[in-house]
Amino acid sequence: MKFRLPPETYDSEPPPVLGTWSSVYMFVLGWLALLIALFYAFTRYFA
Amino acid sequence: MTTLDWIVMICTIIAIPSFGLWRGRGGTTTSHYLLAGKTMPWYAMGLSIMATQASAITFIATTGQAYVDGMRFVQFYFGLPIAMVILSATAVPIFHKAGVYTAYEYLERRFDAKTRALAGIVFLIQRGAAVGLALYAPAIVMSVIFGWNDRITTLIIGIICVLYTTMGGIPAVTWTDVLQMTIIFAGLILALLTVISLMPHGVSFTDAVYLAGSVGKLNAVDTKLDWDNRYNLWSGLLGGTFLMLGYFGCDQSQVQRYLSGKSVAQSKLSMLFNAMAKVPMQFFILFVGAMVFVFYLFAQPPMLFEKTAMKAIRFQPGYLAVQGRFDTAWRNREQAAEKLNAARKQDDDGQVAASTNAYRAAQKEVDGARRAGIQLYEKSTGSTGFNDTNYIFLSFVTTYFPAGVIGLVIAVILNAAMSSSSGELNSLAAVSVMDLYRRFWRQDASDRHYLMISRLCTAIWGSWAVIFAQYARNLGSLVEAVNQVGSYFYPVLLGVFALAFFFKRVQGSAAFWAMLTGEAAIVACSLFTHIAFLWFNVIGTVVVVAAGLVFSIGAPSRKTAAVG
Repeated sequence: MKFRLPPETYDSEPPPVLGTWSSVYMFVLGWLALLIALFYAFTRYFA
Repeated sequence: MTTLDWIVMICTIIAIPSFGLWRGRGGTTTSHYLLAGKTMPWYAMGLSIMATQASAITFIATTGQAYVDGMRFVQFYFGLPIAMVILSATAVPIFHKAGVYTAYEYLERRFDAKTRALAGIVFLIQRGAAVGLALYAPAIVMSVIFGWNDRITTLIIGIICVLYTTMGGIPAVTWTDVLQMTIIFAGLILALLTVISLMPHGVSFTDAVYLAGSVGKLNAVDTKLDWDNRYNLWSGLLGGTFLMLGYFGCDQSQVQRYLSGKSVAQSKLSMLFNAMAKVPMQFFILFVGAMVFVFYLFAQPPMLFEKTAMKAIRFQPGYLAVQGRFDTAWRNREQAAEKLNAARKQDDDGQVAASTNAYRAAQKEVDGARRAGIQLYEKSTGSTGFNDTNYIFLSFVTTYFPAGVIGLVIAVILNAAMSSSSGELNSLAAVSVMDLYRRFWRQDASDRHYLMISRLCTAIWGSWAVIFAQYARNLGSLVEAVNQVGSYFYPVLLGVFALAFFFKRVQGSAAFWAMLTGEAAIVACSLFTHIAFLWFNVIGTVVVVAAGLVFSIGAPSRKTAAVG
């Protein structure tokens, strides 16, 4: 009773932006770094 | 509540699940009931993943936590984006390719049946407890507003939730979540705008932010490494990553969401959407709580936000003295805040420094008076660990929000609890049926039979959740309680999946005993150390992986790929 996706829907499908999944992952991690930096500045400025 | 509030609340409560049932209609198979026939787009899965995690608890307790403790709780979520990236690159394609209904089904293909069963049982225990807590949260709404009994409210909410989950399965749950989260986003913005608009004349948005920051309410990042400190940058990045890996990678309530995707890419996008949106969303919710704190600088709050607690101490010896101390402390703080605000506008650095010190001292006195009130309550009732964090935001909403908006906020909170719980109930049913019933009891029944059993299991787990929720009252801040439950069980699940994905040498029995060893290590840490619970996620996972490798010494290396 397996329920599989069609083969064409696996890893071969590229992301809609940035070309490759690796680039998307790096963008997300960069976003996190930016948020932490902003929050840190926010904390220091208003403390 | 006004008649308008009642109309808005009832219509919203009925409309949201009805939309989910209508949008998810049409399926009559087990795959449709448990996986939505793998037809879901990324945005629906993404919002559903977010809604399952962000229950009513998130909105009730997180805002209150910012009021009491500042914004440092946001660090808890710093590991989430890292975990989402790791899972998008590993677990999402692996589970999709394996063609499984549950994450634990994959473990049998990689290890053996007993490891699958143990993982499934661990999930059922921890998620069964958490779903009860999630159901309890909205009971607070009713108890604060109407003085209704928490247990009766839990029962009513539970019945509604179980009904639509049993009827519609995961398609109804997912589409309900989509509408729910859309309304929540709108509601959060509305809440912030309302808080700011209620600030007294002369206190601008910038002033409010400064006043919150001056007494440490905007402490979003703490870089000091302290093992006993629950929330700092390092526990969030390391402990939080492990916890989120466990939650989103090994908890069927989340895995089931991205298994319903119509392609691997769509499932990955749903995860990465959460990776980008979750931290700012939590920051925003906490910020609303910090602004509520500023509002109460200029409008006197109750000494204790839980009305029943205030009633309990009202006629106790010493009450008048404690209440008088609180009133005086609040007035002093109000004056200190006004002076600081005026000094800032005059740009007088010396006066700003002196006013800031006076303001901080006044805040300490308010905190001290509140603690005295709490001690009076605990002494009069013989209880310990009193915590009214969960009542703060709701007290504010019901006292100061305009008619209609109150009804909408309460409906959103009730529906958030139901949508979160419904996803969990559906996943509990999936594991119960697919990993235990179908695997160990009856393997050759018809699809119609499994669909019926899935619905029956949903109803049974819903009943259990309601019963568990009856005893949730004394667990402190609910959001922490839920996360603590997870930290006791996710590490062993995460550890065994790490063994499955990355250590081909490790096989069935070694993985099984490694899980038990990891759970024993976590229990030992809990009983015999003061290590903050987020670190259990790191310790438990490392112990499982290490034990799995040790138990595999001498075992032959697998030549086949780990991915099924």
